[in-house]
Amino acid sequence: MKRTATSVLAALCAAALAGGCASKTDSADGGDSGKDGGQFVIGYSQSNNAEPYRQQLNKQLKHFVARHENLKLLPITDARQDNATQVSQVQSFIQQKVDLLIVSPNEPAPLTPPVEQACKAGIDVLILDRTVNTDCYTSFIGGDNYAIGQKAGEAAVKALPDGGNVAELRGVLSAQPQIDRDKGFRDAVKGHGIKIVEAREAKWTRPNAIKVMNQWLARGTEIDLVYAHNDDMAIGAHGAASGAGKAKSIKFLGIDGLAIPDGGIRAVQQGRLLSTFVYPTGAEEAAEAAYALSQGKKPKKKQTLPTVEVTKANAAKIYEEYDVSGG
Amino acid sequence: MTSTLDTAEAAEAKAPGRLRRLLPLFGSLQSYIGLVLIFAAGVATKGDVFLNQTNLTNAVGNFSSRGILAVGVTLVIITAGIDLSVGSLMGFASMAAAMMLFHHDMPVWQIVPLCMLIGAAFGFVNGAGTSWLRIQSFVMTLAMLSIARGLDRQMSDNASVGTTVAGPDGKLTENSASFQGLGTPGHNVLVGVLGPDGIYFPVLAFVLVCVVFHLLLSRTRFGRHVYAVGGNPTAARLSGINVTFVVIAVFTLSGMLAGFAGPIDAAYSASADPMAGNGYELDAIAAAVIGGASLAGGKGTIAGTFVGALILTLLDNVLGLNAVSDNWQLVIKGSIVVFAVVLQRPDLLRGAGRRLGRRFGKTPPSEEKTA
Repeated sequence: MKRTATSVLAALCAAALAGGCASKTDSADGGDSGKDGGQFVIGYSQSNNAEPYRQQLNKQLKHFVARHENLKLLPITDARQDNATQVSQVQSFIQQKVDLLIVSPNEPAPLTPPVEQACKAGIDVLILDRTVNTDCYTSFIGGDNYAIGQKAGEAAVKALPDGGNVAELRGVLSAQPQIDRDKGFRDAVKGHGIKIVEAREAKWTRPNAIKVMNQWLARGTEIDLVYAHNDDMAIGAHGAASGAGKAKSIKFLGIDGLAIPDGGIRAVQQGRLLSTFVYPTGAEEAAEAAYALSQGKKPKKKQTLPTVEVTKANAAKIYEEYDVSGG
Repeated sequence: MTSTLDTAEAAEAKAPGRLRRLLPLFGSLQSYIGLVLIFAAGVATKGDVFLNQTNLTNAVGNFSSRGILAVGVTLVIITAGIDLSVGSLMGFASMAAAMMLFHHDMPVWQIVPLCMLIGAAFGFVNGAGTSWLRIQSFVMTLAMLSIARGLDRQMSDNASVGTTVAGPDGKLTENSASFQGLGTPGHNVLVGVLGPDGIYFPVLAFVLVCVVFHLLLSRTRFGRHVYAVGGNPTAARLSGINVTFVVIAVFTLSGMLAGFAGPIDAAYSASADPMAGNGYELDAIAAAVIGGASLAGGKGTIAGTFVGALILTLLDNVLGLNAVSDNWQLVIKGSIVVFAVVLQRPDLLRGAGRRLGRRFGKTPPSEEKTA
């Protein structure tokens, strides 16, 4: 039922966009000649707007693209976590003959064929954040979740020099970022006297993290540090621990480091989290790559973005650096 | 209240099978067997840890917003409808509450009633669509699920809004501090009034909502009308019940309760997430159905829903305390829910026996729906 509704909706969207295609062709043609001085048209297919991280990515991309007058970003499409929707949205960008297609794939396999279609149609494709199973693209820009997990592991080792007990709040178990953030952390703490005494799936959300943390505390598990795969879960666990009067004796590590009032950087500033690790959006790099392409230059095939550890010392500065709410 | 009138009416309705259906039954121990078994499992495996006030408070507190939704959903289910929008409505209300606090620094006593009003307004639209436009409640509330979520996301620009608001002096603002009392872990209300530690508001709120709506369903004329509409709408209409009013009222009440759960949920997470409450409608419906409500209408009690909610959250708690792996938890939870439903309702087993017996041609006619 829901699936049918979604596909009907997807079909309608596709039809609407295809209908819009007739009028858009002009601007796209303008884009082609744009390489000689006019506008360079960019279509961006986002996998899911309803995640704070992706919302931030969208905002930053608009912000950084606007710095170059010759770049024109079409309205960002939202696939709402649905592969079929995203495939049709990518295809409609291909039909509109954009100059550059940016895709943050919802999942690699289903998005591979449309990316290859774009590639064959001679459209430059920039893969942002998540991968596809083909080499037929212009450039990949993304963070490295394994490296971020490792950094978090190193921070845990530093915070617990004599070893100690770590509890791990995991994202959705089947999600690749979860798998990498888990593996990186475990590899980094190996051999440092750190024991992972608890590990539970809390599905990226605060209410789940609060529940799990409360259960750990009720079990009487000795916990010195909580490593959460995102800031929301870390903040939730901190809330549960402080409710139980145990927040002072436990340290909390998060990941994502979003520069929003309710995000991890602020939580580090307020001392709720020991540190968080910026999962870079890649928006600025994507805008720069688009600009390079518009000038006829080739960007690097693969750009892996480094993370930054946010600590109390640098939190204010990093917040300012990533904050785009002012425009 | 109108007790003489009530008894007179009850006497009037004394068609034997019907009276049994109209009076919410929850007296027999039978309906609590599932819960008793989960308690037993908890005590047997993790005795001191499980039967500990903090642990039970945490477990019930975590489920309380969904429990409150379940009460509203129960009302709707008794009228033979369904409300799929409660999770989204709660999400919308939680975002509205957080924004009222964050952007307008409003006090709790204004935020909560306003959120209930907002929820009631959405619920009214559900009811109006269902009864005036004759849209099936499944479709109407599925549409509302989408509409409310979209509005929530638009309003918040997809970013979560925190409810711990610091003033210029770096300390929590007065309103933000009192908002924490709605459910931020470790913040109790009525300290000194109800014992030295007070009580955790989500738990208190859930219990109070259950008591109020139990009384509404079992002790008032409106309550009996709700059962009558679900049992047989035609008969209800012919006997002079304003069916349209009852249907609109239950959807409005369900929306209002979702609006009430919103601020509690926001305080619990110390933040309103644009996706908060996603999927909660299923937990709410599960609690109602485990508690004995029938999706065919006419059956269900708030006491049953309360037990259903406790079964769901305590089961989760017992599995968590025993560190059962996440994958097996899913399997075990599903299996035990089926088990609990069957245990609580021996009539299901008897029904199965009857259906087997029917093959030999000696079945008494089904007693389920007497007009």
